[in-house]
Amino acid sequence: MSAPPIYLDHAATTPVRAEVFDAMSPFFGPRFGNPSSAHRWGREARAALDEARERVAQCLGAAPDEVCFTSGGTESDNLAVLGAWRVLRTQGKRAVVTSPTEHKAVLVAAHQAAKEGAEERLLRIDATGRIDLAEASITLGTDTAVCSLMWVNNETGVVQPIAELAALAKAQGALFHTDAVQAFGKVEVDARAIPFDFASVSGHKVGAPKGIGAFYIRRGTPLEPLFFGGSQDRGRRPGTENVAAAVGLARAMELAVLEREAHWRTFEAMRDALQAALEAKVPGLVVHGGAAPRAPHILNVSVPGTDSESLLMALDLQGVAASSGSACQSGSITPSHVLSAMGVAPDLANAAIRMSFGALNGPDDVARVAELFPALVAKARGLAGVA
Amino acid sequence: MTRGRVLVAMSGGVDSSVAAALLVRQGYDAVGVTMKLFHDGGEIPDRPCCSLDSVNDARRVAESLGIPHYVLNLQDEFGHDVVADFVAEYAAGRTPIPCVRCNTFTKFRDLLAKADAIDARWIATGHYARLADGRLQRGRDDAKDQTYFLWGIDRGVLDRLILPVGDLTKTETRAVARELGLLTAEKPESQEICFVPDGDYVKVLERELPAVALDGTVLGTHDGFARYTIGQRRGLPGGRAEPLYVVALRPDDRAVVVGPREALLGRGLRAMTVRWLVDPAPVVGTTLHVRVRHRATPVAGTLLAVDGDAVEIALETPVHAIAPGQSAVFYDGDVVLGGGVIAAGRRTLPVRAA
Repeated sequence: MSAPPIYLDHAATTPVRAEVFDAMSPFFGPRFGNPSSAHRWGREARAALDEARERVAQCLGAAPDEVCFTSGGTESDNLAVLGAWRVLRTQGKRAVVTSPTEHKAVLVAAHQAAKEGAEERLLRIDATGRIDLAEASITLGTDTAVCSLMWVNNETGVVQPIAELAALAKAQGALFHTDAVQAFGKVEVDARAIPFDFASVSGHKVGAPKGIGAFYIRRGTPLEPLFFGGSQDRGRRPGTENVAAAVGLARAMELAVLEREAHWRTFEAMRDALQAALEAKVPGLVVHGGAAPRAPHILNVSVPGTDSESLLMALDLQGVAASSGSACQSGSITPSHVLSAMGVAPDLANAAIRMSFGALNGPDDVARVAELFPALVAKARGLAGVA
Repeated sequence: MTRGRVLVAMSGGVDSSVAAALLVRQGYDAVGVTMKLFHDGGEIPDRPCCSLDSVNDARRVAESLGIPHYVLNLQDEFGHDVVADFVAEYAAGRTPIPCVRCNTFTKFRDLLAKADAIDARWIATGHYARLADGRLQRGRDDAKDQTYFLWGIDRGVLDRLILPVGDLTKTETRAVARELGLLTAEKPESQEICFVPDGDYVKVLERELPAVALDGTVLGTHDGFARYTIGQRRGLPGGRAEPLYVVALRPDDRAVVVGPREALLGRGLRAMTVRWLVDPAPVVGTTLHVRVRHRATPVAGTLLAVDGDAVEIALETPVHAIAPGQSAVFYDGDVVLGGGVIAAGRRTLPVRAA
């Protein structure tokens, strides 16, 4: 294969940025200390960690004590749902509210809360992928412990009205968590502007390494930790801190905030160009979430008469990396629960291809995929006997 | 210079690992796939697929060979074509071979469609069988020969099929794996049905049923006729002059019919859903060799009648325990002529209708 490979899976993960790598490197070498140690090595590490926390807080419109470092999105989501539920269950609250298009880290944490006695409630999703606001306040009720809703959907890019939803939840006396993993760096995540109590951010989606994330906890919000041990991070997250990764996360988040508006424009231009080309060349193409406000980096399409599995193989063999949006541990592809919740028919959901833009992409990539994708689709439809 | 793209089915075992390695060595553009055929555990809620060690082994072998690898989710197809049929066959008093249906439908129909989707001219597996002159032949290692399970594939597939380990003995295959440093080199042999890893297929088939002797005497009760297979001796009442064997299963009255060893001898059989892998197909009167179970020595027989895709075979020497549901595979020397599913054994020598 002569042409360079094209990475269209930035919603899955991104490469560590050079600036981030450089910022981290001293902490793998000379500045290796344990932030809890009282000696000079410890002090040095502690200072770096505190500074990283301040910088992350700045990026979120938060105070430093409102920021906790975790291993990433899944841990943060679990901590929000279960940590809040386990405190509030003792105060007469009985429900955990989410939506069917949440990440599994929230959905399965809510299942766990249900095993511990919670009533699990799901908000209704309309065909565009947005939460039905009118119904939401009724479903929430005054007995909700915690409501957890994703800001930008990882499969479709659909943006939920998080300000309105947070206000609704707060009005009902519930704690509100948002999984902002795909939102951060694309939309403004500001704790001063929107009254969320918790927010999850993942490092590796924004050019920091895997295994580090930030968890926002509004000051004074009750939370039971998931881990028990030392007093690190005020006891909210015991365990020796990953200093290097925290420093890297701070750098990556700062860059993401600086570049947010420019990135939006760049990614949106590429996404719209590719979508327009595919809509023009592929009869019957369905754009999932296309009728709702979307973050600019995700394009999720289905072509009737094809299947994701075969199309993704064919794309990969041509050097184009995309995803079905719902990859799992074994690497096999199963129908997306997000698309199912939006009422997408199983055949069409099984054909979904998510292409997500990021730093590795340029206009040439759009042009090449705009040629290649329709050709592969035409071949697949020919094999399937679709005219 | 590449010899074309080949889709190679990699189970994570040593045979298919070596098959993939040999294809790479021979200059093919190999693409490895592992089929996810059934859901094997509920440890991750809401997730009908999960990590199997075998998938990971296959992926690591593919990585070490420098070839792409994909996991294909064929659970719905396998569930319908193989598992559902397996249960239905036991319920009908037969003894099915899921591997035959898996080869026929899952591997050489569904997987072939995936090969088409990625422009793969060839499809390869780690089966011990060979191809020569467009004909399927027994593997060189007689102890490992797997042609008994392959008769059901479409004849057209033979032109696209590569069986890289068919010319090797199992010992040689392992030697190649060691020489290449494949991590699967020392993996133990798997003999069980893949979707019944603990061997306890009866769990899903349990019934309370009566047991009846050949002369109609009720000898006792059994705990489900699906637990029994023609020729089985274990689990039957003892203390009799001669040992008893299961000689028939009668699903209508849920009876397990038992009798002496002689009652198991068959002189002929009727097979259905017969598929021929040679063209032209053998005609009535043809002498061929018939294998009625895996690893059994093929015995000489004659094709007595052909009625659509059903055939009647006379056997020159009596054969033990011809079990409906098992396969009858027809050979001419090493060449596989075709095969079918045994509908019935014949206790007396069938004769050709006038």
